[in-house]
Amino acid sequence: MEKKSNHIVIDPADIALIVREIGREARHVIPILQAIQRKYNYLPVDALRQVCELTDITPAAISGVSTFYSQFRFQPAGRHRIKLCVGTACHVMGADTIYDAFKQELDIPEHEDTDKDHLFTIEKVACLGCCMLAPAVQIDHITYGHLTSNRVSNILADFLSSQNGLGNHDKAISPFRKSETSGVVRMCRCASCDASGAHKVYAEIRRQIDQHHLAVTLKNVGCSGIAYQAPLLEISTHNGRDFQYGQVTPAQIPGILLRHFRPKSLSGKGRVAVYDLLDRLLTGRVWEPPTHAAIDTRFGADAAYIAPQKQIVTEHSGQLDPLDIDEYCARGGFAALDECLKNRSSQQIIETVEESGLRGRGGGGFPTGKKWRMVAEAADPVKYIVCNGDEGDPGAFMDRMILESFPFRVIEGMLIAALALRAKSGFLYIRAEYPLAIQRISDALAICKARGYLGQNRLQSGHDFDLQIASAAGAFVCGEETALLASIQGERGMPRLRPPYPVEAGLWGKPTLVNNVETFASLPWIIRNGAAAFSALGTPRSKGTKTFALAGKVMRSGLVEVPMGLTLRQIVEEIGGGVRDGKKLKAIQVGGPSGGCVPAELADTPVDFEALKAAGAIMGSGGMVVLDETDCMVDIARYFMSFTQAESCGKCTFCRIGTKRMLEILDRLCAGQGQEGDLEKLEQLSQSVAAGSLCGLGKTAPNPVLTTLKYFRSEYQAHIEGRCPTGKCRDMIVYSITDACIGCTKCAQACPVGAIAARAYEKHQIDVQVCTKCDRCRQVCPVEAVEVG
Amino acid sequence: MIKLQINHVFVEIAAGSTLLQAARQLGISIPTMCFLEGYPHFASCMVCVVEDKKNGSILPACSTLAVAGMDIDTDSEAVHLARKTALELLLSDHSGECLAPCQRTCPAHMNIPMMHHFIEAGQLREALMTVKQQIALPAVLGYICSAPCENGCRLRQVGGALSICALKRYVAEADLESNTPYLPPCKAPSGKKVAIIGSGPAGLSAAYYLLQEGHACTIFDKNAEPGGMLRYGVPEAELPRSVLDAEIDLIRNLGAVFEMNTALGAQITLDALQEQHDAIILAIGEINPDGMLTLPVAIAKNGIQIDRETFETNLPGVFAGGGAVHPGKMAVRSAAHGKSMALSVDQFLRYGVVSKGSDQFNLRLRKMDQQELNQYIDDQKKLHNISAGPELFTPQLDKKAPSPEAVHLEAGRCLHCGCLKTDSCKLRRYAEIYKANAQNYKGSKRQYVKTRTDHPLVIFEEGKCIQCGLCIRITEKAGETYGLTFLGRGFDIEVGVPLNESLGRGLEKTAAACVAACPTGAISLK
Repeated sequence: MEKKSNHIVIDPADIALIVREIGREARHVIPILQAIQRKYNYLPVDALRQVCELTDITPAAISGVSTFYSQFRFQPAGRHRIKLCVGTACHVMGADTIYDAFKQELDIPEHEDTDKDHLFTIEKVACLGCCMLAPAVQIDHITYGHLTSNRVSNILADFLSSQNGLGNHDKAISPFRKSETSGVVRMCRCASCDASGAHKVYAEIRRQIDQHHLAVTLKNVGCSGIAYQAPLLEISTHNGRDFQYGQVTPAQIPGILLRHFRPKSLSGKGRVAVYDLLDRLLTGRVWEPPTHAAIDTRFGADAAYIAPQKQIVTEHSGQLDPLDIDEYCARGGFAALDECLKNRSSQQIIETVEESGLRGRGGGGFPTGKKWRMVAEAADPVKYIVCNGDEGDPGAFMDRMILESFPFRVIEGMLIAALALRAKSGFLYIRAEYPLAIQRISDALAICKARGYLGQNRLQSGHDFDLQIASAAGAFVCGEETALLASIQGERGMPRLRPPYPVEAGLWGKPTLVNNVETFASLPWIIRNGAAAFSALGTPRSKGTKTFALAGKVMRSGLVEVPMGLTLRQIVEEIGGGVRDGKKLKAIQVGGPSGGCVPAELADTPVDFEALKAAGAIMGSGGMVVLDETDCMVDIARYFMSFTQAESCGKCTFCRIGTKRMLEILDRLCAGQGQEGDLEKLEQLSQSVAAGSLCGLGKTAPNPVLTTLKYFRSEYQAHIEGRCPTGKCRDMIVYSITDACIGCTKCAQACPVGAIAARAYEKHQIDVQVCTKCDRCRQVCPVEAVEVG
Repeated sequence: MIKLQINHVFVEIAAGSTLLQAARQLGISIPTMCFLEGYPHFASCMVCVVEDKKNGSILPACSTLAVAGMDIDTDSEAVHLARKTALELLLSDHSGECLAPCQRTCPAHMNIPMMHHFIEAGQLREALMTVKQQIALPAVLGYICSAPCENGCRLRQVGGALSICALKRYVAEADLESNTPYLPPCKAPSGKKVAIIGSGPAGLSAAYYLLQEGHACTIFDKNAEPGGMLRYGVPEAELPRSVLDAEIDLIRNLGAVFEMNTALGAQITLDALQEQHDAIILAIGEINPDGMLTLPVAIAKNGIQIDRETFETNLPGVFAGGGAVHPGKMAVRSAAHGKSMALSVDQFLRYGVVSKGSDQFNLRLRKMDQQELNQYIDDQKKLHNISAGPELFTPQLDKKAPSPEAVHLEAGRCLHCGCLKTDSCKLRRYAEIYKANAQNYKGSKRQYVKTRTDHPLVIFEEGKCIQCGLCIRITEKAGETYGLTFLGRGFDIEVGVPLNESLGRGLEKTAAACVAACPTGAISLK
């Protein structure tokens, strides 16, 4: 709700400038609001009034839209924004405890989000798409992964020092100069690799290259998806040999580089002596030797990770510079578009897509070719193409990686669609939480425009096509196509009843093709390799490959692309290397908040639209979170319900109030206050909400509850009896110290609330009345004497 | 044209029509709340759902386009369950009360706030007419009623309940003492005859209302004087006989015939009465265990067995109520039974059957905490121009010797609780029809929510809003400068005026249209 605020004087000239740059039509309301928030850190009401005076935007629209999207705030925020991810993987890895730790560290009162000095504002966000680094947090543009409550103060200190210190490392990217190269160092700088520290490693490489004048090209490449090894460094030497280093730290860089490359000015005999000299001259100390030997993807664990995969949308991952269009073309990029332009009619393109058997990768699995045909056959000559990049499912990051690593591939797919459907205009709708994806796509669009792929009479084809980014503003429901289209039109993202489907009446009432990022990214491969090659992969009804964001309690997490038909067990055990820490597989959550938990007994279910549905899950957009025996299934159900409940648009009675009532029951269960009859009421509400909601969000919101009730009912029953069998539900557990305690006082020092008195060499005790269950004592205990039960 | 079937009947309708239009063409009624002719449909409330028989899916009729070959059921079990669930979910989040708590707790549901309004305005005759719509013997009850209404009064929590019973007695006695005591108009004689056995509060009340419907009433009683327990069970010190006689005389003046010293089973038999009358009412008071055996109707644990909704016994045309079905000494409950029996008998006489489901739906607010109550009192004072200051919290009436001034001041303490749209609220009407249980999905957010009074003509009670968005569409279409808009999303979504403007600025042209369209009491006239 908006509140009156007199903190700030608005200069009308600032607002006028924003409006002039963005446009005065009503559809620009979201970008205008984003620009105002960038300027003032929140939305001052006076600024909104001025927007209404200067534009076609009505007061009702500006208030309605600004309060709909969670990105906007009406109170001034602190100078830095802490976005704590509460996505599925982060949730199971303890994000709630981290949130409490940040609030405690910054001394933020219970119902507020900003510290007294207005330095930091903390908020929970749906998913940062860094699931393999869980739990993760983004402070302004820096992402930190693998958090523990004890690391929180260090992270804040690190962030603040980065603000005062070295400036922006990213400016160091230099153009590709092939002629000088005696070798190439490749690194992915996607949001999640950066969160693993890739930005620091990258800056160190840059510094070493510059200082030592190494004849080395440092190349920023699309993500290999081998996220558990990030930051991952790949080195190709001039004699054609490749080396990989995983989990690299900046301190290891000098050693790694000098192992493969010679300082340019030196050669021959004197070099070894010079190394030592250089050491002292440049660093003043002898650097640490590399702690990691080069890993080889053809053997061992990493080969197991790569081998069962089949790369179509992630083709050439780890090789391609995301924004190097020449390299993209050299590796077959835009060949498919070229083929379509020169040799294929609209009809033939659509036939190829139909024959390939490609089905929508956003979750629904609607046959893509059929959708194209419907748009193509719609009578209205004005048609739109929309790429749905509003990947909001907690636990999913495939679209982020594809957009960040393969922007040209997505654009090429859209260009092919535009050609087939004779569309003149298109939009890429991308989540606001993915700033790097927006940046890369926007850079890629500019390059495409300069090369003539976009614009009037593109590539002398006689065909105009214009493509622009529509930035989302924080609403999961906008992944639903009618809500997405409303959002592009500058409205509240409320879905509407279908039919009419967007293929008949979409953007501004015109026939509109809405396809997911991965769907578009599959197209160039299909055109280049033929429909038959694609449909040769997979199962009878699900063809080709599917990307999954493999995360949670698995040894090797990351983005994987597998042929359809592989079983969940193969993905978890062969690619993922099985469950972490020797624990037992309990379930695999597939499809995020719309999907379900497939129990370990059904892990042989293949990746197939129909088979997953039969198991109670859905293919969804591809989130796959592995749960082990320590995960509480009621807590998982409650987690997803709290997500969908918060993301309901509020239109349909069943979804608006029904999900709230379901969540209240689940909250009660997790607090140990369940009542007899709660499970029956949950089931009945689940059925009503699924039947009586208009859009996919409401229709599928009960799935996580229904599948966990179906496969893990005894766990629910235990909660009614006041027990959480896994000890996950915080209200039902206590921390205690066992006789193993050696009296080291570490726990007492770590406890932020003074629940443990320090008594050297004596057994410590936890005052359960004071204890906030923050878990810090357990983390610091050297002898595992802290017990949770 | 498109051809489809609804409830097994074929209908042809122009392409682009909705299922609602198709159903209406067939004369099939479908409940709607968020739909308004002339405005784009929105499909939010989901009470208009119907079932697609082909796949069992539930569709909102107001927005779903008719498709050729559809097979629609508007009356299936699934449809009823979905509508009922939708209503129960809406009610679980509806912070309002249909009736003032005094009126709700009164067994006769007398419109107490209305009585207070007329007393305060000095219109005692209108006040009495309001009372007599529900209570045939107000002066008598003014002496002996246990006044459950006063337990419901909100002011009880903050000082002292209103003296409702004393005010009622004052109004009724003022009428009896006037030259022309109020006699309600009676419809033309129907030619039907009703025998009422027992002249206690239930029997007398039944006669009072049946006579107004044009039915002839003969009251039989085993005693020498009419009044039953009122005369033979209540000491004269508690109830002056002059008052009892005066109110019985009014019923006699209305046309009731009294046959005294006539006991059922002795001087008359049920068989004989049934031959001579079109309907029988057994208002014979509490039955002792011996007496039960002599009655020719079925007996339950507490008395004569009846259908609790219609007051019918197991014998056709024979009704029973009051102490005969429910032991206890609460005269007002017997009086309430009297009126309910009269309504049932009237239906029976006109149509041969009595409809069920006439149970009124009344949502209640949760008990308010002190803070909510302060806010509530503040809002009600603004809303009803209540001028009372601190005296609001202090009873003003000496019940033994009420002065006209004190009566006026006491009535002025009324907070006029209850909904302003009690009779036009669609949520209440449908809740009644679908027998919704407001307690089924109890949860958070049923607290009292502040009423917006910053408009000259209307008030907006946000807690009663069901987020149907009709008012938003109305203000948008009319081109209001500010209008209304949705704020926020999900469960916390609200309807409000943009940019923190007042309701007055929001509804410059469309206040009346919004009141008329609002399906609940969220927007109503001051």
